[in-house]
Amino acid sequence: MRIAFALSFLAAAAFAQTLDPAKLTKAPTDSWPSFNGDYSGRRFSPLTGVRADNVNALSLGWVHRINVTNNSTFPGTIKSSPVVVDGVMYFTIPDHVWAIDARTGRELWHHTWPSRGGIHIGNRGVAAMGKWLYYVTPDCNLVSLDAKDGKERWHKQICDPDLLYFASAAPLVVGNHVIAGISGDDLDVPGYIEAHDPETGERQWRWYTYPEPGSAEAKSWPSVEAMMHGGGMTWGSTTYDPELNLLYFGTGNPQPVIAHKGRMGDNLYTECIIALNPDTGKMKWYFQSSPHDTHDWDANQTAVLIDGVIDGRPRKLIAQAARNGYFFVLDRATGKNVSTTTFAKANWAKGLDAKGQPIPDPAKFPQLDGALVSPNQAGAANWPPPSFSPATGLFYVNASNAYSVYYIYDDTDKPEGWGGNDRGGHSEGVLQAIDYKTGKIKWSHPWNGPGGPRSGVLSTAGNVVFAADPFNNFVALNATTGQPLWRCNLGAGMSNGPISYELDGSQYVVVAAGDTLFGFVMNAK
Amino acid sequence: MKLAYRALFLATVFVAAVNAQGPRGVPPAKPAGRTLPDAPGRDTVVRVCGATCHGPEIVAGKGYSRDNWSAVVNGMIARGAKANATEFGEVVDYLVKNLPPRTGSAGTGGAGFIGAGPDDAHVVDGEGAQRGQSIYVAECITCHGNRGRGGPDSLPRAQQGADLVRSLVVLKDRSGALIGDFLRKGHPMQSGKSSASIIGKDLVDLSHFLHLKVTDTLRSGPFNTPVNVLTGNVKEGEAYFNGAGGCTKCHSVTGDLAGVGKKYEPVALQQKFLFPRTFAFARGGGRAAAGKPTTLTVTPAGGKAVSGVLVHLDDFNVSLRDSSGEYFSWKRTASLKVERNDPYAEHVALLDKYTDKNIHDTVAYLESIK
Repeated sequence: MRIAFALSFLAAAAFAQTLDPAKLTKAPTDSWPSFNGDYSGRRFSPLTGVRADNVNALSLGWVHRINVTNNSTFPGTIKSSPVVVDGVMYFTIPDHVWAIDARTGRELWHHTWPSRGGIHIGNRGVAAMGKWLYYVTPDCNLVSLDAKDGKERWHKQICDPDLLYFASAAPLVVGNHVIAGISGDDLDVPGYIEAHDPETGERQWRWYTYPEPGSAEAKSWPSVEAMMHGGGMTWGSTTYDPELNLLYFGTGNPQPVIAHKGRMGDNLYTECIIALNPDTGKMKWYFQSSPHDTHDWDANQTAVLIDGVIDGRPRKLIAQAARNGYFFVLDRATGKNVSTTTFAKANWAKGLDAKGQPIPDPAKFPQLDGALVSPNQAGAANWPPPSFSPATGLFYVNASNAYSVYYIYDDTDKPEGWGGNDRGGHSEGVLQAIDYKTGKIKWSHPWNGPGGPRSGVLSTAGNVVFAADPFNNFVALNATTGQPLWRCNLGAGMSNGPISYELDGSQYVVVAAGDTLFGFVMNAK
Repeated sequence: MKLAYRALFLATVFVAAVNAQGPRGVPPAKPAGRTLPDAPGRDTVVRVCGATCHGPEIVAGKGYSRDNWSAVVNGMIARGAKANATEFGEVVDYLVKNLPPRTGSAGTGGAGFIGAGPDDAHVVDGEGAQRGQSIYVAECITCHGNRGRGGPDSLPRAQQGADLVRSLVVLKDRSGALIGDFLRKGHPMQSGKSSASIIGKDLVDLSHFLHLKVTDTLRSGPFNTPVNVLTGNVKEGEAYFNGAGGCTKCHSVTGDLAGVGKKYEPVALQQKFLFPRTFAFARGGGRAAAGKPTTLTVTPAGGKAVSGVLVHLDDFNVSLRDSSGEYFSWKRTASLKVERNDPYAEHVALLDKYTDKNIHDTVAYLESIK
């Protein structure tokens, strides 16, 4: 009797879909419990079922097609990184969440949000905690669901669609906080990030991406009016260091976006990597990746935590391959720069300032008659998440060497909104492997095709890097050398970041292309 | 009685507008037509524009000029859109023919840049906005400026009007509901009339005009065209063309480029020599021919070389179509020799070398070739 009771308890513990937050503090094995797999943002799998010497045997285990349109008459695209907890996978497109069996791809439930509008360009996925899920909607709601059946628990408005805000980022649960960022760069409205109570949904704090009026940082704007309409959205992924108790995220472009004459100055805290205390919402430090950006190069790319060694000293570092073409390595306790290099063509800066931040070249600001600028507006990197492998010490990013011409269209006294844009261009895609100790490129794998926001990257302890090329191939490469080892043509461009987990001794690698999820598996012998 | 009815009407509209922001109730009706008109090229648009980064709904409800649509497509090619030259041509032609400019609708009704805004947002009526402009000029322009962006700096600070493009009253307004509520409370007007006298159709027209001023600032707005790219020096452009630019290796202003300045607007000229695969329109004429394709020569070990137009080339496979239309495909191996010939390789290499002055001078020179 006792044994039976104990067994049933164990069975419940093994199969109920509940997430222990401690899982996010180490590299994921039997789960992929958050957008990036764990708090570090490394998207590194410690699993070795799939290795460079056996990846050619990786096979397709299942396919899941959503057959749902995206706020139109056209099929939706899966841009979310699935979250896997206790054998169940949760993924999204705008207004939709699914639970499927992570072993078979079989649907368990499908939740639909009755939308009031907003930009439906993409949704990056759910956060999980305990028995609950959290995701955001294009019409600006943070929604909590019951993981077992997809029933709504509560929803809270986090932004205002009338001001052309929308929401797309995957939330992150840290302690007693659900962290949610916001999107939108159409109107001149300010950015912010906020924390909500995981149980009640009540807002705990909101941190605006502009400085306190009157502070030294506020002098980076010509006026309070410009500052409070200065943009800086928070649409990227958030990472977290439990020891330092700091959240890390990037902020987006300043507003007005291109026609910048009304916001001369560095425009803090737009285009920054920000370290924030998740309990108070107070900023610890900032580092500006693109002072006075004029090219829409949001610095929202993942700030990846690296526990490394520099000059023989163990260091707590953070690294970002930014949309503007620069690779930054910082001390993540202080925000002090360790190194700044370029990982793609970038012709827009005159050099680096004393803090290691690029100094924009006014000649490469958008011009009435055009300025040839690299990278282009899509950027050297964009939303697709990079990966860092502690096994190789390399930071992998699917990059773009690109040029376009930036123009000012609105040369009146008070441009607002956009007032300019880039046109045309040329781009070449390349997978870059960067040595975090030096910032130098260790190897480059050119795809011999166009760049642009390409795909997320996954690295594994099996010495494999997974990424997509420009020709619909999902490719495995040797993580040490960059040699391509295996591919599957998915019939559409890969549209998210790959994830990996192990169930019943078999390692899975899951990736999305268009409206379909592909579950690859290395079957156990 | 009339007044009471009016107040009730306003109150109802106001509540509806506020409810749109509140907790979820019954969602508003979807704007009709988030799809694409049936016409030749639609299938290509759906396939090419919906391949990876966004779905084809991104262009639904949009309306641009020919120049702006070709700029959009050229930008997408540079961002990695996948199609061949013929397909991109079909995309440009479809968009230009079927999605012409729409007055002031961008950014509203969920039809703005990738559907920005709520589904029940104010949709600007072009004629209404024109009538509203007359009211604005008569009553508002002195303090709020030509574009509604706030009082001109020439006025004393106290007399500078609010920035109406950034005004919550405007941004949250639907058909004059909130603007009317504001005006009813009393606000100075240029004519000295009571602001509460702006009601009914006048109020709705003023609302159309102010919402139009908001959409003017969006990236999908109507003013997204370079102002003047003809700033270079013709002589120095000629020197660059014949010298450091190396253009005469392939081109001649009396041969292939004869009359090129007559053929293209300066903006198209600039884009075409920087990025030769650009889809440009000739002055007043049709779309220019698509760029030349990349070709391949593939030689299997011990076999005969095959040449043709590149169809596919990645790390694992290669394929081409030869001049007779025959299709060839190989698995890439160490012994398979693949030679790639991009006819525009020299243009690509120049991107790393041009100064902006070289570019502007070259535009000026090419524009002078009439």
